[in-house]
Amino acid sequence: MAQPTAQAAPAAAWIRLLWLLPLALLPAVASLPGEPATWSWSWVDALDVRLGFAADGLARLFLLLVCLVGTAVLAYAPGYLRGHARLGQLMVLLVAFMLAMAGAILADDLLLLLLFWEATSLLSFLLVGFGHDSQDSRDSARQALLVTGAGGLALLAGFVLIMIAAPGLRLSDLARLDPAVLADPRFQAGAALVLAGAMTKSAQFPFHFWLPGAMAAPTPVSAYLHSATMVNLGVYVMARFDEAMGAVPWWEGTLLSIGTLTALWGAVQAPRERDLKRILAWSTVSALGTLTVLIGLPNELGALAFTAFLLAHALYKAPLFFVAGNIDHATGTRRIDRLSGLRHAMPATALAALLAGVSMAGLPATVGFVAKDSIKAASELSEVMWAVEGVSLLVSTVGVAVASVAVLRIFFGSVEHPEGHAPHEGGVRLTLPPLALAGLGIVLGLFPSLAEPLVADAARMISPTLQRADAALEPQWLLRLESFAVVWAVGLVVYAGWNRLHRLLERMRFLDRAGPAAGFDAFLAGIKQVAGVLGRRLQTGRLSRYLGITAAATIALCAPWVFALRLPAPAPLGTDGAGVLLGCLVAALGAVLAVRARDTLQRLLGAGAVGAGSAMVFLFRGAPDLALTQLAVETVFVVVAAVALRRHRERRGGAGRRPARAWRAGVALAFGLLLGAALLALAGRPFDSAMSDYFLAHSVPQAHGHNVVNVILVDFRALDTLGEIAVVMLAALAAWPLARRLRTRKEKP
Amino acid sequence: MKSERSLVLETAVSLLYWLMLGAALLLLLRGHNAPGGGFIAALVAVAATAARALVSGTAAARARMPLGPLGLSAVGLALAAASGLPALFREQAFLTHWWGELAAGPLALKLSTVLLFDLGVALCVWGALGGFCVRLLEAMR
Repeated sequence: MAQPTAQAAPAAAWIRLLWLLPLALLPAVASLPGEPATWSWSWVDALDVRLGFAADGLARLFLLLVCLVGTAVLAYAPGYLRGHARLGQLMVLLVAFMLAMAGAILADDLLLLLLFWEATSLLSFLLVGFGHDSQDSRDSARQALLVTGAGGLALLAGFVLIMIAAPGLRLSDLARLDPAVLADPRFQAGAALVLAGAMTKSAQFPFHFWLPGAMAAPTPVSAYLHSATMVNLGVYVMARFDEAMGAVPWWEGTLLSIGTLTALWGAVQAPRERDLKRILAWSTVSALGTLTVLIGLPNELGALAFTAFLLAHALYKAPLFFVAGNIDHATGTRRIDRLSGLRHAMPATALAALLAGVSMAGLPATVGFVAKDSIKAASELSEVMWAVEGVSLLVSTVGVAVASVAVLRIFFGSVEHPEGHAPHEGGVRLTLPPLALAGLGIVLGLFPSLAEPLVADAARMISPTLQRADAALEPQWLLRLESFAVVWAVGLVVYAGWNRLHRLLERMRFLDRAGPAAGFDAFLAGIKQVAGVLGRRLQTGRLSRYLGITAAATIALCAPWVFALRLPAPAPLGTDGAGVLLGCLVAALGAVLAVRARDTLQRLLGAGAVGAGSAMVFLFRGAPDLALTQLAVETVFVVVAAVALRRHRERRGGAGRRPARAWRAGVALAFGLLLGAALLALAGRPFDSAMSDYFLAHSVPQAHGHNVVNVILVDFRALDTLGEIAVVMLAALAAWPLARRLRTRKEKP
Repeated sequence: MKSERSLVLETAVSLLYWLMLGAALLLLLRGHNAPGGGFIAALVAVAATAARALVSGTAAARARMPLGPLGLSAVGLALAAASGLPALFREQAFLTHWWGELAAGPLALKLSTVLLFDLGVALCVWGALGGFCVRLLEAMR
């Protein structure tokens, strides 16, 4: 992806210094209150939508991650994509994404959250598809957008339901929700839809497949979106709803089963990959599943473990993505079977990988260990312990193995370089960001009390009953040493047998065929197929067929109501009767001529006579304006159509096969009868003359005109007329190039 | 097309053309108080243009439309929109029309922005539909 060139001009100053922006925001974010605080400005008062923001401990933790990893990513990207023509574009997108994330986390109003949520989806589409000259990149971006976009729709529907059940509800109100509202099935259905939306964003099974696919994104994007920020947004929303929904029976069970399934699926898929980035992506899926499980745990230690693991995961996964990017940058490959012994060539990257790897493996004196320890403590308290325990054991084991692959295998194996070119470090910009993040993970592991207020305040937003004494993050690791030892040992065994496991799992093709990703592809292909079949059947290019289908469909749709129509009793003809009858006669003769005539021009004249007949009827019924318009339109139409049809005159002489004719006649008759009956029934209803009375009364005094039709057109409804003539002009503009096409097509053969 | 030209028809239509345009103008002017108005006037003018294009060729019909069909249409739209602007000076709603009387001795001529609006409608529709007819005839030639 990156093509560094020696003579590449240095990037502009704003690109090089952009990382200072999130860094400068860090102190401000850190000083946010741990207790809930809200700000609100009026926005769309009519819809009761406010620019409402709220900050509390949970928001602070997420914001800190956004700014912290954001600083690293914005410092890293100019080094990684040095000399790339669209580097500036990437930086702008990254900053926009950062702001959208911050907005989503701080949003207090439901619709505001949705707005920022969709913004992150769209920006993620642009970021994943950054290398849009490759098909793979475009496909991945589209897949991510379709999945998260569908989730956004679910979220919208859920929020609407919730707003119906609890008008004016803010996210900060969820903590003290009225039990009556909570019991409302509409609220629960809304919460279920919100959960579905959150699952797509946080790559929960069965919506997880877009995340490994999104690894087509440039490394800085993966490190930012797919490790620490966007994928956590879904988890964030789940955590927000957990305090209210925790009392609902189905909520926690659903979270536990979804999270467990996701964690397992990620753990099974990770060893099937050879691409380091995809391995990391699957382990992220696994971690997201674990986070969901931790939200679903009913005890307050689960909340603490959730926030601790969230912090730890960001602090080791983002550096590992950077490491994968550095390896790609230096060697041109990310395939682990081609990489080995890079420690001499890339010492700084190796150190970063080591620091992050030990944290991921959960070795003592790392933040990863602190997190694992609190997970352990939480699962020991849980009633569903065996499930959580078993899954966390398996997931941690695979985690240890993945960390070992990323560190031991790639950096500490025998020294052999692929394709004979010497790998090298890519400079401070590529090594310092992962070192800083991974180093922070070690510092927080050595002094967990530094992270404690942050993590505990966040956990208290999910479980208010959490006591400060329980929140101690000092690992009692001697107590749980044996279970940790088991994980490390099994993890190392998995690592040792990685190749064999990989081959074994790779052969299990049914996982690909039966997986949700295959279902998604089949779904997309199905849409295309159905559209293709429908298109071929309906869009034949024959106008008569379109008309026939439209008329037949209208008849079928209206058929149930036909018999409910109440036709008025026939009224005696007045003094205008003779004229009206004459008009009807002309129209009827025209219709017969249009149907019976062999010649196209004669048919057209027949159709024109129908129009002229109706104009006569209008005239005698006291609507001269309508009659004039009808006559003028009819005249122009006949002239234009005669010219257009001249070419078709010879070609379409025959009237078609007999069955087709019978069918057409039937549809035409039925359609005519239906319309006639409907019109009669409509005219038979009492007429509300309020509008016409108003116009008749005010036409002269207010608009100085005796022709009410014209007065309505140019005065009372002048704005409508203005819009209509604009449409007429637009139609002519649109027809302009079509006529040219007509000519070129005619000249070609 | 040239070989099909008929001198009689062409002479008759060139006369008829101006007659129809005159009728259109009449319909436009009297439209506010008697049957007529901008849209009907425009349709009559379109019929005139179509007749001319059929008999004397599309180039001749085009040449008789000032500013070209689309230009005419655009000017008409602009006129109609502009007729609503004076209302804004009186802080009335857009398209609230002004009425005035031009008194010249015994003759009192009523003038208003309504007429401007209707003229705009007529020009816009004439340009668009007349232009479309001409364009179609060109393509079908």
